[in-house]
Amino acid sequence: MRRRRGGIFAALAAFFTVAAMLLGIGGASALSAPAAPQAGAQSAGVQGADVKGKTFAIATDTTFAPFEFRDGSGNLVGIDMDLLHAIADEEGFTVDIKSLGFDAALQALQSNQVAGVIAGMSITDERKKIFDFSDPYFDSGVQMAVAKNNQDIKSYADLKGKTVTAKRGSEGESFAKSIAGQYGFTVKALADSATMYDDVKAGNSVAVFDDYPVLAYGVSQNNGLKIVTDKEQGSSYGFAVNKGQNQDLLAAFNDGLATLKANGEYQKILDKYLAKSEVQEQGGFFELLKNSWPALMKGLWLTMVATVLSLAIALVLGILFGFFKVSENIVLRGIATTYVSIFRGTPLLVQAFFFYFGLPQMTGQPLDVLTAGVITLSLNAGAYMTEIVRGGIQSVDPGQLEASRSLGLSYVTSMRRVVVPQAIKIMTPSFINQFIITLKDTSLLAVIGFAELTYQGQQIYASNFRTGETLLIVAALYFIVITILTQVSNALDRKFNK
Amino acid sequence: MSPSTEKPGTENNVKIAVRGLKKTFGSNEVLKGIDIDIAEGEVVCVIGPSGSGKSTFLRCLNKLEDITDGSVTVNGFDLTDPKVDLNAVRQNIGMVFQHFNLFPHMSVIENIMLAPVELKKKDKAGAREQAMELLRRVGLAEKADARPASLSGGQKQRVAIARALAMNPGIMLFDEATSALDPEMVGEVLQVIRDLAAEGMTMVVVTHEMGFAREVADRVIFMDGGVICEQGVPEAIFGNPQQPRLQDFLAKVL
Repeated sequence: MRRRRGGIFAALAAFFTVAAMLLGIGGASALSAPAAPQAGAQSAGVQGADVKGKTFAIATDTTFAPFEFRDGSGNLVGIDMDLLHAIADEEGFTVDIKSLGFDAALQALQSNQVAGVIAGMSITDERKKIFDFSDPYFDSGVQMAVAKNNQDIKSYADLKGKTVTAKRGSEGESFAKSIAGQYGFTVKALADSATMYDDVKAGNSVAVFDDYPVLAYGVSQNNGLKIVTDKEQGSSYGFAVNKGQNQDLLAAFNDGLATLKANGEYQKILDKYLAKSEVQEQGGFFELLKNSWPALMKGLWLTMVATVLSLAIALVLGILFGFFKVSENIVLRGIATTYVSIFRGTPLLVQAFFFYFGLPQMTGQPLDVLTAGVITLSLNAGAYMTEIVRGGIQSVDPGQLEASRSLGLSYVTSMRRVVVPQAIKIMTPSFINQFIITLKDTSLLAVIGFAELTYQGQQIYASNFRTGETLLIVAALYFIVITILTQVSNALDRKFNK
Repeated sequence: MSPSTEKPGTENNVKIAVRGLKKTFGSNEVLKGIDIDIAEGEVVCVIGPSGSGKSTFLRCLNKLEDITDGSVTVNGFDLTDPKVDLNAVRQNIGMVFQHFNLFPHMSVIENIMLAPVELKKKDKAGAREQAMELLRRVGLAEKADARPASLSGGQKQRVAIARALAMNPGIMLFDEATSALDPEMVGEVLQVIRDLAAEGMTMVVVTHEMGFAREVADRVIFMDGGVICEQGVPEAIFGNPQQPRLQDFLAKVL
């Protein structure tokens, strides 16, 4: 049921997260006692009383709407979250939510960094070997949806000769493939729900096979689709603790769940996210703008922080290695050339993955995402800065240095007074250019989960499915900021480099 | 004109002594062994076809070019000795370039004041006073606060000479100082060099101005193919050239 991510990547992510938590970097004091293993304390019938007043660290995914996702103001919400909080209230304990990502959450549980995991996780035999699951709190399954205005496709039989889409590696994909031969359609695998829905709306695929809750939530958010088939029986979701541990918490969860089911609270939570509301129409563009504004501003702020920090460091690196490059010392030149070759010769994305996932694994020293992002961007931009500095210095007439040296001035003084002032003038437009490139490159850090502007935009349309409008707002923000900064830089250039 | 030295290089007060000087660029040997002594107050003009090594020779005299082999001794300091403070030696050697090489981001007077102030030979006021004096000497006092870009070629080169004089050097090197100038401006620059010669400055002048060499030089050196081919007083070089190569060269340029 639950999507699987690439093995190595997931492992790296998990490793990082666990290591971060071990060193207490992941999130401050949060590691409130992942209740020590209680051998023999598994007596059945342990009830809420044992958990009263305690705080449990619970791990979850980052974005898996409608189970857990961030709303417009950045709060983690969803069925899992509402349910867990309601149960905790019911049973008198408190939870400390760790939004780690699915694979990392399981790793954290296995290493006792958290007491439990709730992350839309299917109960499977495989997982039962290492975890104890609560009673199922949600029954999932695959459904098919088509574009809202599509009157032709009403059942699998109408799919003959058509193309449908499903999420790569999901239960939806295996189900679609299992009936593709029978009904004569083709299955195209895509990476995430928002992309699949856009594909259907754009007419590239006629239908999408997706998990029922995900699909139902999308429809409830007016994602432009309608569900046309019944749910195919799928797996059930459960809350998990380590095998043989935290049995009191597990019992409290089951007890609370039963209470919520009995008093109707459970259904209310489900309806909140899955029922197609009659009145709720998506707001207009300006409402979207208003709702997403706080999250986007948070993202823009981080974009600017990463840009400024990275550029400041890159400037230092660029000047240092730029002088190495024009130096007469072959060793210094070699160092600078190697540095530039490596960071210009590899994609920024690979560098970001390396510093965030790879390096911590090799050194055992975890990096938080801002640090890893800034390291990546500064080293990358530094390589380009090095070339800008080298080019700037070399474009100053060699006669200038000769004239200065012939007066008896030292190399350093000649550089400082004669060559560098002229080089700066030549370099300024390239610096401004690099500034803009680096600002835009921060968007690539979204892939390592750095919550900058692009990432915030992705989070927003992952939950409201208004991809086009959200991206327009994000693009407009970049455009406005870059235009303003370019004008300011050019004005400064004119003022100081007349 | 300074007193003529009939037997150059044998005076007691040798300012520049060059022994077996060789310079190669990659596999190209530009200087193939130069030996010369230049005495205090002597004006030596270096002539020869392009590519003969004149400029390279001149640039070896203040080690703007690394010396491949041999030695250059200036004021008793061997430039090839790594222990010699090159910056100190260079302060005593002014150099004037074909393309002026004025610092475009500084005013005329700042160009001249740069070395005395940076090398702490003078405070700012003192350096400014001296720079104005030098500008008056080259006839450009009114251009003190102008930018080099606003000057004519002849004016630029006169500023460059003033700049080269700012550290009160005992030796001046001129590298084709008039080659980049429009013909009508050559005269004003040559006049400044002529005045310096008259004051007894030790000078090595690489030039294409044969008339000027004949008039000002104590000794003329004809270089060809990286060696000194012929040398002597101007009357001998221009009136009675011995080597066929020198005869050829003079036939072309005169």
